[in-house]
Amino acid sequence: MSLPELDQRDDDELIETILAAAARRDLEAMAVAAAEVSEMTRNWATHIPWDEFGSLDESTLDEVVADLTQMWEPADLQVDADEEYALDKNAYDFYRPAGRNLMTRTEEFYGWVEARRRTETWQYSRTLEAAPNSVAQITNDIGRRTRGINFNSQDYLSFNTHPAIREAAAKAMRNYGPHSAGSPMVLGNTRISDELEASLGELVRAEQVTLFPTGWAAGFGAMAGLVRQEDHVLIDRLAHSCLQQGARATTRNVVRYEHLNVEAVRRHLVDIRRRDSRNGILVVTDGLFSVDADWPDLVTLQRVCREHDATLLVDVAHDLGSMGPGGTGVLGMQDVLGDIDIVMGAFSKTFCSNGGFVASASPALKQYLKMFGGSHMFSNALSPVQTAVVLEASKIIRSTEGDLLRSRLHTAVTALREELIGYGLTCMGEPSPIVPLLIGNEKLARIANRLLFDRGVLAFMVEFPVTPTGSSRFRLQVQANHEPDEARAAAKIIADAIADARTYLSSAFGSTER
Amino acid sequence: MPRYDAIVIGGRCAGASTGMLLARQGYRVLVVDRSSFPSDVISTHFLWPHGTSYLNRWGLLDQVLAVTPAHTEVTFVNDGIPLTGSVPDELLRAYFRDWHGDDSGVVRSYASIRRHVLDQLLVEAASKAGAEVRTNFTVRELITEGDQVVGVRGRDCDGQLVEERARIVIGADGRNSFVARSLGLPKFDERPRCTFAYWSYYSGFDLGPAQLHRRGRLACAVAPTNHDQNMVLVWGPSEWSREFRRDVPGNLQRALDFVSPELGEVVRTQGVRAERIYGTLDQSAFLRPLAGPGWVLVGDAESAKDQCTAIGMTHAFRGAELVAAALGQWLSGDVSLHEAMASYEGRRRSQNAAAYYDYVCTLAEMRPYRHDELQLFVALRGNQQEIDRFVATHADVAPVSEFFQASNLLLLNDAAKETSAGYPVFEDFPATARMYQQNLFA
Repeated sequence: MSLPELDQRDDDELIETILAAAARRDLEAMAVAAAEVSEMTRNWATHIPWDEFGSLDESTLDEVVADLTQMWEPADLQVDADEEYALDKNAYDFYRPAGRNLMTRTEEFYGWVEARRRTETWQYSRTLEAAPNSVAQITNDIGRRTRGINFNSQDYLSFNTHPAIREAAAKAMRNYGPHSAGSPMVLGNTRISDELEASLGELVRAEQVTLFPTGWAAGFGAMAGLVRQEDHVLIDRLAHSCLQQGARATTRNVVRYEHLNVEAVRRHLVDIRRRDSRNGILVVTDGLFSVDADWPDLVTLQRVCREHDATLLVDVAHDLGSMGPGGTGVLGMQDVLGDIDIVMGAFSKTFCSNGGFVASASPALKQYLKMFGGSHMFSNALSPVQTAVVLEASKIIRSTEGDLLRSRLHTAVTALREELIGYGLTCMGEPSPIVPLLIGNEKLARIANRLLFDRGVLAFMVEFPVTPTGSSRFRLQVQANHEPDEARAAAKIIADAIADARTYLSSAFGSTER
Repeated sequence: MPRYDAIVIGGRCAGASTGMLLARQGYRVLVVDRSSFPSDVISTHFLWPHGTSYLNRWGLLDQVLAVTPAHTEVTFVNDGIPLTGSVPDELLRAYFRDWHGDDSGVVRSYASIRRHVLDQLLVEAASKAGAEVRTNFTVRELITEGDQVVGVRGRDCDGQLVEERARIVIGADGRNSFVARSLGLPKFDERPRCTFAYWSYYSGFDLGPAQLHRRGRLACAVAPTNHDQNMVLVWGPSEWSREFRRDVPGNLQRALDFVSPELGEVVRTQGVRAERIYGTLDQSAFLRPLAGPGWVLVGDAESAKDQCTAIGMTHAFRGAELVAAALGQWLSGDVSLHEAMASYEGRRRSQNAAAYYDYVCTLAEMRPYRHDELQLFVALRGNQQEIDRFVATHADVAPVSEFFQASNLLLLNDAAKETSAGYPVFEDFPATARMYQQNLFA
């Protein structure tokens, strides 16, 4: 073939010539210019009849002009700037703002939040109008109200409306008042705090329990208490934020391992031990992962840790109480109760209160964490009401009523998952109180979230930083009080909202993950 | 029984490869293309390492590398912040296991191959595999029975009108697909914001591995290609194209000087241009339906994206392996066509695919990098493992979700070894950001 000559005219000029000739209806001039258009462009724009310009009829001529113009001129965009901005960005776009004024440099992010709010695509900061049961009435952040089947609250065994729980709260209020009035290291604990520690210790079969004011404080505090800068942290890359922040705050030697991959942990441990035989290694994972609804093989993970003198910390915030034999969660399901080095949990999902705990078999570890964990010593203790509620919850969890509630919860979960899958949607993970419904693309998720708001289902849409980019989802949190029929009705409404969002955005992407 | 199992319309990256792979499975394949080869076409003609790996899996890479330079490292320079990396072997293997179930033939090098070199090699390989290849063949019409496509009517190299029939017609005929147009297929996920790109071929210098530079709303790249030449490419937002076009050679040099003064200097003082300057802004992204009764689309015909990540050919190869595997299962009688197409569609329209599509389309808007993004590039420096993962993510080897994930981005930040001191872009960022919004060619 002969390479194009350097002195030939550029396609730009030629196509301009063609369009000008077309305006004059000068077919001959069009054909002459077309012959000079590069092979590159002719083979690209195969829909243009380059060789037939000399004999075009009127309507084909118009088509050619339209096609060439479309190829050669930038699109004339008419967009809703607010909605485009709201849908386009992610929170991480604002993580490292410019400028030395810490106050004013938050404004760019605020502008984005406002665009999200104006377009009703901001899923955060909704408020409850009454107790969140299987149905709830809420107001969104711009003051619009709605009512719907509630998968937006985390109260897996529906304890918030349980009479015994409410009575325990009332009684603690009468006996101790609303305030703990001090750090648990000073005088913030009551007799029921000791009772609670004992009850939790029995539940997870690790009797040395320390209470924290929130689950976040427990996770962060455990890591801050134990890990020093020369130590190593191996952490599942999807572990909870409190653990990720704990890792980064304590050491630069952080390795995020592939989600659930115990073999990867083993490889990293071998690698670290080859270089460092002196310092500690903390391996960190969730039990039930809170936006993926899956869990690691804890038997192998704990064994691998022991083989390399590493310590394992497992966060059971979402599974303890709501799953497993007697409410023992993922630990009980895998028969590793009493065998995990450090168990950490939160009360806010199943135990009906703020608060968290760290448990192990070691009284020394307990005293050390209390002193050096920071968030234990330097926070006000759980309030007496919170303590009493969690204590009562832990008793119900371990009773036959607990078994019944978990069975009802599981029935509702199964109904919801099966119905959603029946609509061709992707439910991630395993049956558990968390049903992650994959949507993926943020734009689609934000529009689906907007549409769903008025349709009688309350669901929390999670996106970055809760999920990785491009894998946003509805995190549906099921309760024991959800009736299977309610769950099925909700599934239809959700499926319709997603389908309508897809139509709104004219999107052909499906719901499979990979 | 029709004469062919499959007719492939389009004999370039997607079509010749699909035809070759089906013929190698023993099926009767006709590949038609309107051109005669060697033949050129608008293209960034870049193969990322999984792209060259496909050629290696098919036994064609040696022929390519005999005449084409290849490298593993690539350098990105964003507002003066350089990152040099390569796609790791481990991620490439994971990619092939995930997409195709085996990781044979993985190579780590990329290559910039002129289409008049590559496409000829591909049609020859299809022919050697047993496919019948007819060049200079223009399809005029799809033959249908009811809503079923059953063949094609076209003009062969002698100008004769001929009809050919097959069990499936494969549209591998590019962005402006005749198959898609004649079926009246809609477009989905349209993203009209895209880039304009202008490029040509230069001898006279050898800068080694490929470089990609970004500054403000403009970018440029130089990649060594065949005939001891370099492809030099500049691109920017399509809304600046009218002004750029007023003086194409002058503005090409102006863009180079603005984005990378060093590269601009090399091209101006050492570069000898061998061809005219080519350009396009026909780059907006869209999806089309993938398959229907008697037809299936592959390559740019089913999903076109902007050139800015130079992924089109690699995706065409991936699509060819996917669709040939799916069709093979159907042609052998193992699954129904519907099932075969559902598995193809599942992969091509997955959430990972959506995330990468979004990544490319967002990049193609050519908005100046945000402060946050530039700080991330600074934080990446010195962290070779994550630079490599970034390169792999940019090239669609590793899923977007594995890099752009909170624990990763925040850890990158907290473990950063370098600071942003010494990069002028950060000195008065708001002023720089305002300046970047000005059309350089106005």
